[in-house]
Amino acid sequence: MNNLVFGKYIPIDSLMHKLDPRAKLIGLFLMIAAVFVPKSWWVFLVIALVLTVALLFAKIGIKMIVQSFKPMIMMMIFLLVINSLTVKTGDVMFMIGGFAVYKDAVFNTLFVVVRLLLMISITTLLTATTNPLDLTLGIEWLLKPLEAVHFPAHEVAMMVSIALRFIPTIIEETMRIMNAQKSRGVDFENGRLSEKISAILSLIVPLFSVAFERAYELADAMEARGYVPGVKRTRYHVLKFSFRDFLFIFICVLILAFSIASRFYL
Amino acid sequence: MSLIEIKNVSFSYNETKKAVNDVSFDVEQGSYVTVIGHNGSGKSTLAKLIAGLLPVKEGKILIDGKEVNEENISSMRTRLGIVFQNPDNQFIGSTVRDDIAFGLENKLVKSEDMDAIIDEYAKKVGLEAFLNYEPQNLSGGQKQRVAIAGILAMKPDIIIFDEATSMLDPKGKKEIKKLMYDLASGDDITIISITHDIEEVLQSDDCVVLNKGKLFMHDKPEEVFRNPEKLRQIELDVPFIEKVREAFAKHKIKLNADDLKGMVDELCRSSSKH
Amino acid sequence: MPIKFKALSYIYNKDMPYAHKALDHIDLDIREGAITAVIGETGSGKSTLVEHLNALLLPSEGSLEVLDYEIKAGEKQKFLKPLRKDVGLVFQFSEYQLFEETVIKDVAFGPLNFGYAPQEALQRAADALKMVGIKEDHFEVSPLELSGGQKRRVAIAGIIACDPKIIVLDEPTAGLDPKGSKEIIDLFISLNKTQGKTLIIVSHDNEMVYNYCDDTVVLSKGKLVYHGPTDELFADKEKLKEFNMLEPQIVSFRNELIERGFTLSRQARTLEQIAQEIAKQVKR
Repeated sequence: MNNLVFGKYIPIDSLMHKLDPRAKLIGLFLMIAAVFVPKSWWVFLVIALVLTVALLFAKIGIKMIVQSFKPMIMMMIFLLVINSLTVKTGDVMFMIGGFAVYKDAVFNTLFVVVRLLLMISITTLLTATTNPLDLTLGIEWLLKPLEAVHFPAHEVAMMVSIALRFIPTIIEETMRIMNAQKSRGVDFENGRLSEKISAILSLIVPLFSVAFERAYELADAMEARGYVPGVKRTRYHVLKFSFRDFLFIFICVLILAFSIASRFYL
Repeated sequence: MSLIEIKNVSFSYNETKKAVNDVSFDVEQGSYVTVIGHNGSGKSTLAKLIAGLLPVKEGKILIDGKEVNEENISSMRTRLGIVFQNPDNQFIGSTVRDDIAFGLENKLVKSEDMDAIIDEYAKKVGLEAFLNYEPQNLSGGQKQRVAIAGILAMKPDIIIFDEATSMLDPKGKKEIKKLMYDLASGDDITIISITHDIEEVLQSDDCVVLNKGKLFMHDKPEEVFRNPEKLRQIELDVPFIEKVREAFAKHKIKLNADDLKGMVDELCRSSSKH
Repeated sequence: MPIKFKALSYIYNKDMPYAHKALDHIDLDIREGAITAVIGETGSGKSTLVEHLNALLLPSEGSLEVLDYEIKAGEKQKFLKPLRKDVGLVFQFSEYQLFEETVIKDVAFGPLNFGYAPQEALQRAADALKMVGIKEDHFEVSPLELSGGQKRRVAIAGIIACDPKIIVLDEPTAGLDPKGSKEIIDLFISLNKTQGKTLIIVSHDNEMVYNYCDDTVVLSKGKLVYHGPTDELFADKEKLKEFNMLEPQIVSFRNELIERGFTLSRQARTLEQIAQEIAKQVKR
């Protein structure tokens, strides 16, 4: 659990951390669009350079970004295999035991992989520099226009922030139940399929019943403290746009514009 | 007029059994009332009824002479706080600061006024240095103190403690009990505490004993414990001092003192008469 | 000697920046057939210590002998199942481990995992349920429908049914009312007295420890600071103060009587015994 880097918040102070979560969310969408548009390798290079600068501003080591790529390695290999089997254009690049791998297959794969890696880096940059609560507030703000069509933006944000708050509690609970069942002879690692199923049930069923109990008690606690879903409340955290947020969005718009322009002029 | 009047209240979760059965008693302004009874005696149900978390369908509950009903429950709720048993399941915010703010947000306090209130009540429960802590880095006792601060910040008249110390370690229990006694010593806040802790009962002004949903006794704690046999009948624990009295009575030694030291004095006097 | 800790240390998140030494060089022999309490403040390492007994945790350094099994740091364990059958661990709030459709099936779950034939497992489950005071008409109901106290007893039956030689209890009475607590404690004491089970109880309840436990282990910040007879620990005011322990009322009362010139034997630990001995020294 501790090795999971993707989506993890790094609680330090940096220029990127100080940005308004809404600005960062908008920036994220602009940048992802910018990654999808270009067809030229050197546009990717420019975006990668900009990202590197942003990472420096965020005080996040390149190491962490590289670590966040790890779960993707299997997927990349899979992509390469699929592409090698299907793409048969361009020159033959090399042969594996009588099977020809074409140049386009390799380059198509690389292209997708680079896009994916850039997207992961952008997302990691956002999640590493934005505390989950602020992120929820940002998402709530983005969803706000949907309230016109009765979408419960605030309730959804409340749900997400409570879910985030309970993740460590649930992980602890999971460990405890696993230990209790191991003590009753459950082997979570080995065993036949039927044993595996029973092992998983012995974990899932108690987890759910505890989660429901928690949910009921939490609902009581919220109600007792005056929470009524759908009723207006004030907010402790108030987001404020500042000059640097506009500047940040402006830079992201520029990159997207550059990326779109590259399709026409390069 | 009493602050809280509970009149012939009954409640059942299903048709077969009444969890609370025709219970009536009054709670005076500023008093500290403990409610005891073994698990399943209806204590927690009663707490939820008073807190307005369960609807009162039979009988009535009056606060300040006004009957609590579905229309006025939300305004009544601002006068009433409840601290639950499980410290984890009532921590709503992602940090101490946010958790105290939760109630204030519901009470429509302005964002710019919140920090001052949060600081004041965090200080009151001794957590001013922990404001940015997340719940997983706090002890059970600290989490309960956060819950108390969150309730105090809403300036209630009544606080209900529903076995608030039962899941804590001795240190946490001690902290929370001290905080409760401090709150009880003023006249502003009325406390209703559901508990198994006999020593806590001895600190309270009034004690309500429930058994199988019914009111079994309602009196000063000394009076309630004067008759340990009666409590034993419904399988409740009695204070240590009463246990001592009982143990010696079995050997035909009658001890009259109200504290252990006095009892030892009595034993000394009778032994020196040899 | 069934349980022997040899210079055992345990480090959470070893090799990480936030590594934490939860147990520090523990040397400890626990007596067979005795009731041993493990006490200490929250975070002192009590739970970490007992989770080594059935290899839920493996030592980071040092080693551990439990019955005929030896567990060494850095070695993969091959005898997990027999060890876990012989050492039953009852967790805090153990009612949360229940998951089967019926009470009896849940209690039989452990015995089945440990290789008892289905018929025998059910028989063991039925016996264990009777032992913890769950009546036969409750055997076929869902465990989730029971009251909190009953659930706890079913969970405990689930461990007893595996017939462990050593039973480890982590705060077995937490959250129960006084009556429920006493019933659970009485049950385990009788398992110790009649079947000779070795009991290890992790507890915060000094009164209970004083009344029932033969030996006491005190942990502080991961270190073993006391191991010896329970009555000697509680008779030593200096030690109680050093370990930041509250003196149970019965101990205060006993000490007060002795200070005032009464004689009390070492066995007189319950109120009944004390009253009996004092009565002989008092003129009626």
